[in-house]
Amino acid sequence: MLLASAAALPLLLGTAGCRSSDAFTGPDPLAGRPPLGHDVLTLQAVIAAEENMIDLYRMAISGDSRPSQARTLRTLRALLAQHEQHLVRLKARLIVPPGPRGSGGNGFPPGAGGSGGSSPRVSTVTTSRLRSAERASAADLVRRLATVPPALAQLLASIAASDATHVTVLGG
Amino acid sequence: MAGAVAALQAALAAEHAAIFGYGVAGAHLTGSSQAAAEQDWTRHNKARDTLAAMISARGAVPTAAQASYQLPFRVHDAPSAIRLAAYLEDGVTRAYLGLVAVSDQRLRRFGAMAMQDAAQRAASWRGSTQAFPGLTSPGPLAP
Repeated sequence: MLLASAAALPLLLGTAGCRSSDAFTGPDPLAGRPPLGHDVLTLQAVIAAEENMIDLYRMAISGDSRPSQARTLRTLRALLAQHEQHLVRLKARLIVPPGPRGSGGNGFPPGAGGSGGSSPRVSTVTTSRLRSAERASAADLVRRLATVPPALAQLLASIAASDATHVTVLGG
Repeated sequence: MAGAVAALQAALAAEHAAIFGYGVAGAHLTGSSQAAAEQDWTRHNKARDTLAAMISARGAVPTAAQASYQLPFRVHDAPSAIRLAAYLEDGVTRAYLGLVAVSDQRLRRFGAMAMQDAAQRAASWRGSTQAFPGLTSPGPLAP
């Protein structure tokens, strides 16, 4: 009986002058995964930028330009730890359905990075470069506030304020 | 509009509290610390005036300062005064976070920039930074 009803549905719709898109108001299950919302795309970009920042700090701490002073090293490690906290909090807000969209199977579109750009390739990361990256990050996050939901805006503003304090600590 | 005015009033109340608190802290500080406290006190006075003007421009009456505020701990020497200054800035940072949630995009930006200023002052007083300024901070001084 159920099979008969399902088979008869197109005929019924046809006689009523309807298309399937008129009959169902929800998402079309045959259309594939719906496009990601703006706030999800923003979150992906901010996460990618935060990952780039973490890469920069790791290179500054362990790369060729590793600071000789223990105090500077301690400071960089403390700031790195805060960026790792940012990343955890940002990722906790991101729920993307699995699928082939994006490049790495992690739901991130290619080039999702924010102001941080692509991952750093050089082994020399100076304090000055970190300072510039922090300043750019704070500005980028504030720029994104206008178009995201209030709760996400507050998280981004808080991270921007944290980045701004890092600029000062790094001598800015 | 009502949400924006309420958020502006909360920020103004936090600025009033900070102005009072810096008066207490400054009395226990000397030298460069006292100069820094005076500088920050002046900044909070300017911020108070700015917020009051923004509230008036929206047709509301700016909230008035209270006669006194409850301090979160006893302030009796320079270290406790410095801790109070950091506490005040944390409260101001948290208050401006409310502005970041309003629908007016210019107010969001204004609140975010004010958060950065307050977080930097808090870090300067505390000698360390925080991962989430405003989100994990206590509120401003209570009357």
